Amino acid sequence: MLIAGSVPGEASPGLEHFEDKVRPLLVEHCYECHSAGHKIKGGLRLDHRAGWETGGDSGPALTPGDPATSLLLRAISYEDRDLKMPPKQKLSAGQTAILRDWIAAGAPDPREEVPGDPAPARIPARDISAAALWSFQPPAVPTEETRRPRVKDTAWPRDAIDHHILAELEQAGLTAVPDAPPEALVRRLFFDLTGLPPSAEEVSNFNAEACGPLVDRLLASEAFAERWAQHWLDITRFAESSGGGRTLPFKDAWRFRDYVIESIHREVPLDQMIREHLAGDLLPAPTTADRTRQLTATAFLALGPTNYEEQDKGVLRMDIIDEQLETMGRSFMGLTLGCARCHDHKFDPVTTKDYYALAGIFRSTQTLRDYTSNVAHWVDLPLPPGPALEEALQQKDRQLASLQTELQQITALIKTQQPMSGSLTAGGPAAAADLPGLVLDDSAARIVGDWKPSTTYRNYIGQGYLHDKKAEKGTCTATFIPSIPETGRYEVRVAYTPAPGRATNVPVHILHADGEEDLSIDQSVPPPLDGRFVSLGTFRFEKDGAGFILISNEGTNGIVTLDAIQLLSGKDRPSAQADRAAEIPADLDAPARQKQLQAEIKSVQNKPPFRPETMGVQEDAEPGDCPVHIRGSIRNLGPIVPRGFIRAAMIPGLPAIPPGQSGRLQLAQWMTHPKHPLTARVMINRIWMHLFGEGLVRSVDNFGASGETPTHPQLLDHLAHDFIHDGWSLKKLVRRLVLTRTYQLAGSPLPGTASWSARQAADPDNRLLWRAHRRRLDANALRDAILTVSGQIDRRFLGPNVQAGTVDPNSTEAQTLEYSYVFTDLRRSVYSPAFRNRRLEFFENFDFADINGPIGQRTRATIVPQALFFLNHPFIIGQSQSTARRLAGLPPSAPEQERLDWLWRSVLGRTPTDAERRQALDYLTLPSSRPVPTTEEARWAQLVQTLFATADFRFLD
Amino acid sequence: MTTRRHLLKTTACGFGSLALAAMCQNQASGQPLFLRPGHVPARAKRVIFLFMAGGISQVDSFDYKPRLAKENGNKRSFDDARSVAKTGKGAEQRVMQSLWEFRQRGQSGQWASELFPHLAGLMDELCVVKGMHTEGVAHGPATLFLHTGTTNFIRPSMGSWISYGLGTENDNLPSFVSISPSLSNGGPRNYSTAFLPPVFQGTPLGRTGQPAAEATIRNLNNQILSSGDKNRQFGLLRGLHQEQLHQAAGSGHQEAVEAVINSYELAWRLQANAPDVLDLAGESAATQSLYGIGQKPTDNFGRQCLMARRLAESGVRYIQVNYTDNSNNPAWDQHGNMPQHKNHAMAVDQPVAGLLQDLKQRGLLEDTLVWFGSEFGRTPYAQDNGTGRDHNPLGFTQWLAGAGVKPGFSYGETDEFGHLAIAGKIHMHDLHATILHLLGLDHERLTFRHAGRDFRLTDVHGHVVKEILS
Repeated sequence: MLIAGSVPGEASPGLEHFEDKVRPLLVEHCYECHSAGHKIKGGLRLDHRAGWETGGDSGPALTPGDPATSLLLRAISYEDRDLKMPPKQKLSAGQTAILRDWIAAGAPDPREEVPGDPAPARIPARDISAAALWSFQPPAVPTEETRRPRVKDTAWPRDAIDHHILAELEQAGLTAVPDAPPEALVRRLFFDLTGLPPSAEEVSNFNAEACGPLVDRLLASEAFAERWAQHWLDITRFAESSGGGRTLPFKDAWRFRDYVIESIHREVPLDQMIREHLAGDLLPAPTTADRTRQLTATAFLALGPTNYEEQDKGVLRMDIIDEQLETMGRSFMGLTLGCARCHDHKFDPVTTKDYYALAGIFRSTQTLRDYTSNVAHWVDLPLPPGPALEEALQQKDRQLASLQTELQQITALIKTQQPMSGSLTAGGPAAAADLPGLVLDDSAARIVGDWKPSTTYRNYIGQGYLHDKKAEKGTCTATFIPSIPETGRYEVRVAYTPAPGRATNVPVHILHADGEEDLSIDQSVPPPLDGRFVSLGTFRFEKDGAGFILISNEGTNGIVTLDAIQLLSGKDRPSAQADRAAEIPADLDAPARQKQLQAEIKSVQNKPPFRPETMGVQEDAEPGDCPVHIRGSIRNLGPIVPRGFIRAAMIPGLPAIPPGQSGRLQLAQWMTHPKHPLTARVMINRIWMHLFGEGLVRSVDNFGASGETPTHPQLLDHLAHDFIHDGWSLKKLVRRLVLTRTYQLAGSPLPGTASWSARQAADPDNRLLWRAHRRRLDANALRDAILTVSGQIDRRFLGPNVQAGTVDPNSTEAQTLEYSYVFTDLRRSVYSPAFRNRRLEFFENFDFADINGPIGQRTRATIVPQALFFLNHPFIIGQSQSTARRLAGLPPSAPEQERLDWLWRSVLGRTPTDAERRQALDYLTLPSSRPVPTTEEARWAQLVQTLFATADFRFLD
Repeated sequence: MTTRRHLLKTTACGFGSLALAAMCQNQASGQPLFLRPGHVPARAKRVIFLFMAGGISQVDSFDYKPRLAKENGNKRSFDDARSVAKTGKGAEQRVMQSLWEFRQRGQSGQWASELFPHLAGLMDELCVVKGMHTEGVAHGPATLFLHTGTTNFIRPSMGSWISYGLGTENDNLPSFVSISPSLSNGGPRNYSTAFLPPVFQGTPLGRTGQPAAEATIRNLNNQILSSGDKNRQFGLLRGLHQEQLHQAAGSGHQEAVEAVINSYELAWRLQANAPDVLDLAGESAATQSLYGIGQKPTDNFGRQCLMARRLAESGVRYIQVNYTDNSNNPAWDQHGNMPQHKNHAMAVDQPVAGLLQDLKQRGLLEDTLVWFGSEFGRTPYAQDNGTGRDHNPLGFTQWLAGAGVKPGFSYGETDEFGHLAIAGKIHMHDLHATILHLLGLDHERLTFRHAGRDFRLTDVHGHVVKEILS
């Protein structure tokens, strides 16, 4: 023991100090969060000596004898912004001194014993090794035995899958219910495969014996691709704006949507799609079409709900990486990786080291244009344009280049023509009212400091101008607060009177609606515009917003003058007219030609053709490994972890990550490796869930220890094996699944079904699949079904819906695009604008599915706003009226009975029961209401609306 | 067959308390908002949150700092939150005194400036917390932090947590409403459930920019049917549903059908009740003028506040009243023009004071907690040496009044300039924990299992501020 005088039984002065001063202080101010029986925050205990010796997540709390390097002292000194303890109130100087003295004296601490166990952990310790978790075991290779488990009723199964299901049922002493009636099966197939209802005719004509050809037809349809793309877009949290604080529209996100739809339509293997999502930019691309697809796929990593205005860009960077990891982990592996950002995963074999090994890969990937802008921006990747467009674009580039060359020459010429001395007093005084736009004279500015009025140089605006007497630098400011008549973009101009000896570096600070700018004016040279103004650029200002222009004399090197500012909107910019007038330039009118050239360049730039681009990611210029961020903090870094993957799921023989690369390519290879224990299983389980209502693993997004175990583990492995063997083909798998006997079982009791309720009692959750699950149609299917029944649906395949192509994300249009978007299109729901702060009301009500994160399963809530929507929303009323008109257009001979049959088949996929028929007929023949008579068509429309509103429309049997 | 363990492992709501499992079962039959007890005795039954978007300046309103007047115009170095976030360093700034004169008020002698003259007359009712600090330097992150406890992650809003924890007291109205919310700075995320069941979603009443007189629940009215036809159509719906329920008998699907039927019955009652609750016409002229209704600057916010009282009276659990707009620099965001604070103060001062007086005279203040504040405060120095103030999340003031908090009381303080909270510090997490506590909820036990772990409004932080409890 190094502690002086630590002789048992004899209190040394050091120990006395500890007992009298230090211990009470620790008890009062630290134990609440750092002792047994309370909490142990940051892993640190201060209730016994070993506690501070070992320290918490950030290492030993103190170095005996050396206060200067002791973490504890740094924390209580409140000097480190990120580590201030105790958090509520700084200790007094005296208290700090007590601890400093104690540490300086070698930190004598007699508390050898470890006090009783901490408050009982809420989560019992459990084995979190990979060996203990089923999902980290490689899938078993099926044998003849396991492929087709033995069953008693050998006539029942159609596919090996059915053997698995029946074997379990027989084991439990159960049998499956009979097959679904044809009208239920055809509705099930149409909704599952295409997300659309069968027409009344398809319901009547369906032949359950010849299912195969119908399935093939549906698989080949565009509607199949649209429906299954929606499932994929759900797990990739597809959206068309960033949402959150300052939502920015993703102008090219639609390209990602189209990429997914087309890939599914053209049967791109799902493992390839995953590789393209993670590393499309790094894969070989034989054709420009491939290159376009693959670059577009990387939008997966860029589409998150990023808070671009986060001010601490270091935090922003790690938050983006976290979002990428969490989304990738959940979508493709069913893991919650985000947990390991701050500590080793509590349930799953994922450590903090694994997290930062993966984080290093995304840290070496560029997701933002830069990490300095006030409001950050994603990366726009140019897409290969194709030969015709390329030619047009090059033509445009040449035109721009020649204009710019001329502009440079003219600008140089103007410079040489400018007089050198301060004899310029062009113009003379002008009244603010005579100038266009919004003019604020110096008399309207809010003045700080000692400015002196002057009229010496005559070309001022208003009654004179102000100057700072070249004194008191940094004490004078003037703030101009324009009262903006309407939100929009304004050119900001500043007027000053030039003279020799004026400052060449006058700072101007502009706060506009999209951020701030720090600019500088040289007041020693004449203002270029009419000898009065200099233009500072065009910025967006909001009506009633907080915008201002501030001029100061901070750090200036000469006299600063202040005359006026002018704000010009597009409307009142005189140059617009002037430019046109000056189209035939006078020989030596260089300034006019300059202006004209500037306008021309702008106009060419803003006209098509545009170089197509997509949002995506690329390799960072400086790839490298990432340190562990202790407790997730960017300012408390631990050891550097080499880039890599989850060690518990390592696959031997994978290439290492080369030093100059991010490692995304290797990540993509690891993720889709046939030996990866999770990816194929997770994917199959998702597909199974969409067809059967529940996954074989019911927690579809969680294959970790806190998720569920598979109901049919052998079947899952068998399917995984075949899926990989079949080249990760979605269509092959779907075809196989829907042709099983299990898929085609009844979901509701038919007249005469024996012992339905006995089965119900034995397996109420239908975990053994003795019947089909009755499912809820999601919002997309509901809306598309209504539009199909009414005949109003617009079936345009692919292509953008939101016209955001030329919208600058920091412009007025971008801001209003989302907030005042009017949803009018009648396209399939997959194309509905997917703004994160504002969705089609239908979707808000029917799955408040938050598109901020991956959605493995839509919510299945029944809430009052849904009922109000069906009762009162103009969309439902309008579509019901269209349907009534369609009904009226049926052959005139069709009696009401037939119309009712058509309606019931179209909406519910079945004919009405006698009781329903009677009620409907009674309703249609109700006496007309007064004073406004109800027409027959209106009555029909009300009936249609009521049928849409019923519970059965929302369910799929 | 269904053991507790089985239930916990398989219910859609996942892991949680048995009350929660019970709730899931109730959700199936359409009653997820059933009233349920909290964890600790409740002091408040409901909350009215008056959200002042943009950032009220504490040193111009309730946090009196004489040193600012003494040093007015002096340059000194401050750890400015924005420059620290961007550059890691503080910066030289010009001290700017309050634009409004401070005086001590009432029996309690609490300081208040001339900015809010009506509220200044009610200082004996207010529990003013002056050591607030929070996270997020820009409006979006800080506003999300105020409402959801995080600047960037997708988390449920406070009102949703409270509805989830306590249920509703009125089956005919939503349990959580937000009056005239904004689309910007987080927009709907500020009243969203995120991963909590959708039934706990806040119901927006109108939207900012729309006159409060028109604010209502969406789709409350069928615009084309006469009331006779509405009744007849609803009768048909009931009849068809009876038949569908009959068909579902014995299938195991009845509960789901019943849930849909219940949602229509609730909607039907809501259609009948909500318009009355939101209709201010029945309020006396005296009440209306107490809120400033009918006068230019106060009419709109006065209506919002009176609507809030009527909703509180009807048993709505969490009512947020928004003073905001749809811009990126909302209402109180005076970067360049501090005097404009006065215009906003004139719009809210009398309505808020009227609300407090009205709640008090009706006895509602005893079990209603009123909370007034912004996402952050403002700097005690001029932004860029100009005539406005920048954002300040490091030290600012909010106030509470009513159920369970000490009236006429101040707690916490900022440094001599009013910049950094230094004593009695209340982090936004602490305030959340305290408000939950007042409602009878333990912020560490109000959890929801999602994506493999338990989530809380306060994450792993938050302390109940016992010092302000009465």
